[in-house]
Amino acid sequence: MFVVVTVALLVTMGLALARAIVGPTLYDRILAVNTFGTKTVLLIAVYGYLTERPDFVDIALVYALINFIGTVAVLKFFESGEFAHSWRERRERVEAGDTGDDD
Amino acid sequence: MEFFVNAFLLALLAATTIAIVRMRRLIATTMLFGIFSLLMAAVFVVLDAVDVAFTEASVGAGISTILMLATLAICGAKQESVPRKQLPAIIVVVVTGAVLLWGVSGLPDVGDPTAPATTHVYKRYVEESGTEIGVPNIVTSVLASYRGYDTLGEVAVIFTAGLGIICLIGAGTGQQRRRRNGNDSGDDV
Amino acid sequence: MDLVIEILSWITLVGGSIFVVIGGIGLIRFPEFFTRLHAAGITDTLGAGLIMVGLILQSGLSQNSLKIGIMLLLIFVTSPTASHALAKAAVYDSLKPWTARGEKDAADKSSGDTKDGEGS
Repeated sequence: MFVVVTVALLVTMGLALARAIVGPTLYDRILAVNTFGTKTVLLIAVYGYLTERPDFVDIALVYALINFIGTVAVLKFFESGEFAHSWRERRERVEAGDTGDDD
Repeated sequence: MEFFVNAFLLALLAATTIAIVRMRRLIATTMLFGIFSLLMAAVFVVLDAVDVAFTEASVGAGISTILMLATLAICGAKQESVPRKQLPAIIVVVVTGAVLLWGVSGLPDVGDPTAPATTHVYKRYVEESGTEIGVPNIVTSVLASYRGYDTLGEVAVIFTAGLGIICLIGAGTGQQRRRRNGNDSGDDV
Repeated sequence: MDLVIEILSWITLVGGSIFVVIGGIGLIRFPEFFTRLHAAGITDTLGAGLIMVGLILQSGLSQNSLKIGIMLLLIFVTSPTASHALAKAAVYDSLKPWTARGEKDAADKSSGDTKDGEGS
């Protein structure tokens, strides 16, 4: 039965990859990467059960954390709306006295 | 099944690579690099190299995506158009690939009992590391004791690199200190 | 009892797989970003949740099921958070969702194209 889950996850990974390649907006790609990461986490967990050595769950657990941190960190770059100006704005904020806990 | 999973993951890897090469939008390329790292990590897990997969996921998908985005934020996210004629580059790539393939063909098979990796020190690690070192995990005892100086050197190199980066770019506390002293001349960007 | 657990884990695992694939198809087929976000949300919560519940049922009372339980909790908290942050960032970046009138279509497409890659 784990074969079914593995195949389903692989298919979904392929679909998410297609969305990441096609785009068309940047947010589609971030969404696809996030989905892809979750599917990788699941794949690693399920693959351990498939090969009857469910010791890879630790790795999957850490991946889940990394995936979330990665998505939030990427989004922080777009927080201020315009990508290329985010650093200038942050600098202005720093100069204005806001200590800015984000660097 | 393992073969199927491997083949599918490698096919996805190939698709990702081709997409990365053909993509002209650098932020999209960065996103695809993240997917590449995740795929690579999955391949490593399938190949039983769990520790390598661990590193790949945290460094490749986590840190390097952020670093590349930070670089793009500074440099701008547009790629210059590349010239069409790239014959020398293609020749170099093909020759390198052929040499690498030739080298791989000389490696022993996976799990070959007569391979050098399984005939020399391997036996001693497996049989005696438990009594010699007293650590149940063989990899740990190899890394921390048999190869202790090597690991120490690696740690020293990484520590030096970290120190160098802090000295070059400067940590946040440096900026704050300068601002408090009131001479933020703005030369740190 | 074993049989019941086996059947239950079968149902959850296959159900989770179905949801994951449905979400993946939605990720491809849906017309614009916010609908795709909805499709991806299904794979992250319902699909991943069901699969992990199935894995917990499979491993019984053990350390592994505890770890998967932590993972389940983590994904249940982080995945909607990430989706929300993504949607918020997209709205801030003036990516307009489709409305019932559908007249945003053309404007949305053009703004999406400039938002990508150019780094705006």
